[in-house]
Amino acid sequence: MAEDNDSEPIADGSGTGIVAPDDETPTWSERKERTQGLSRLTYEYFERARREDQDLRMESDYVERDVLGFPAWPHEMIRNFALTSFFVGLILFLSATLPPHIGPPADPSTTPEIILPDWYLYWSFGLLKLGPLNPELSILGGEKLMADRTYGVVANIVVVGFIAMVPFLNKGSARRPVEQPFWAGIGVMGVAFAFTIAALSVKNLLPMDSHLLFDLTFLIPPVLGLISYTVFRAMQEGYMYSLNRRYYRLRPPK
Amino acid sequence: MPLDEDKYPVESDRRRFVKGVVGGASLAGIATAGAAAINSTTSSSGGGGGSVTFRAIENTDGPAPRGMPQIPIELEEIPGEDDFYIKGRWPEVSEVEEQGKTLKVAREDIAGETYSSEWFQYCGVQTYPGVYPDATEENSDLTNYFRYNANSKFTWQNEEVSGGQKMKLSHFSDYETWGNGIGTAGIGKPASGSWRSEDLEPSETMAVEVIRSSRIEEAAQDNEWLSKTTDKGVMAHLNKCTHFCCVPAFKGQAGAANFGASDRVYCQCHQSVYDPFNIISTNYVALPRPARD
Repeated sequence: MAEDNDSEPIADGSGTGIVAPDDETPTWSERKERTQGLSRLTYEYFERARREDQDLRMESDYVERDVLGFPAWPHEMIRNFALTSFFVGLILFLSATLPPHIGPPADPSTTPEIILPDWYLYWSFGLLKLGPLNPELSILGGEKLMADRTYGVVANIVVVGFIAMVPFLNKGSARRPVEQPFWAGIGVMGVAFAFTIAALSVKNLLPMDSHLLFDLTFLIPPVLGLISYTVFRAMQEGYMYSLNRRYYRLRPPK
Repeated sequence: MPLDEDKYPVESDRRRFVKGVVGGASLAGIATAGAAAINSTTSSSGGGGGSVTFRAIENTDGPAPRGMPQIPIELEEIPGEDDFYIKGRWPEVSEVEEQGKTLKVAREDIAGETYSSEWFQYCGVQTYPGVYPDATEENSDLTNYFRYNANSKFTWQNEEVSGGQKMKLSHFSDYETWGNGIGTAGIGKPASGSWRSEDLEPSETMAVEVIRSSRIEEAAQDNEWLSKTTDKGVMAHLNKCTHFCCVPAFKGQAGAANFGASDRVYCQCHQSVYDPFNIISTNYVALPRPARD
């Protein structure tokens, strides 16, 4: 930006036009993402709102100061001590009032009728039951490449690997599902799969045919993902309309 | 000007040499300490184990890799009663010379098949006192009698007999009609128990299942192996699922019906199914018994 002297910014294309990037300068991929549709619109609105706020700030005579934080002593330490005392007190109180619950050691010579891991591990437990997906390869003479047990463990690596890969495929610049219906659909599929694979893990307790359950485990997630994709796509237009309406109600055009 | 010009100390041949020596020495130190730590915290491998051919009740469904090993049985007459104790047969213990060492092995030939203690060395059972070939010489409490366990999945067992009692043939006299509402009645009467594990911790108890069935009786008529390892329709198997070592049961769970296993041995953990009336020859790699002091 030019200083407040006579020289105006050169806009006729004769200069280099190169402006050194600062922290606020969007990257090229960010610019590209904002060139069309809903993301372009929300970006413009945010940009305009930010600009207006900045102008208001410049006009005001309030002096802003940079406060980096409070000093560790005494401010932070008093707060930390209060929090620590509260939780230590809570632990002492609970350990004094609740009876110890540790039972006798596990007995490997009997197995209880219902034997399951903790509920939040059902998805992983379900992956151990993917035996029917383990292909019998004709190149190995109808043998399986790895045992069903190994296959189930490898399936965990595949799932965790995919979740680790998603941030590299899509950084998540959207703030709401309607902005990127495809990735929202992928997300819905993943969440649905977490539930269906958990249901598969307790197939012996569900009152339905286990083969049907196995098929549904892999059919339901893509169907739900597709439905949510189409719904989000259909919502985009209406969302832009209501965004426009609310924006101009809040900040009427001058 | 290179970016790291003001770096201290300056990169030089001498410095690279020192880095190499120090780095190599610390890696060697870490490797030595790691090896020593692993050596001190793990027990050295013991005797027995390796590839073994054994007789198993067939694994028909589920993730289990193979069937569960059968235990040959014998009936021992009870003096003064018209009844028999059901005993598991332990292979003859002998000393053999292998690779310059004298080892005790429990191994014998039955109907052309080598029956050995290595049939049972999987799922941690290889560490149980009862699986060592000469276990009964060292611990005189251990016997080959099958004994009932206390909390069984079978109502008849919980009501009519008590835990620790020796299994008798007369307890199975209604085997041709017995049923518990799971699967077909009259195909066999099961009991769960332990073997060679008297007064041991539950974590050292060899779980077994005994089934008396007319199907076994019929199959034994023209089968040399079955006629020598079963008697009056009584057969037994080590009750450890070969998948993840749970304890399954024959007609023990109503849920087995969902997996077509109400007339078979069904494991509730991962739905492995075994057919106790189809005894096949198969093989696996037995784990070595840890060396004992």
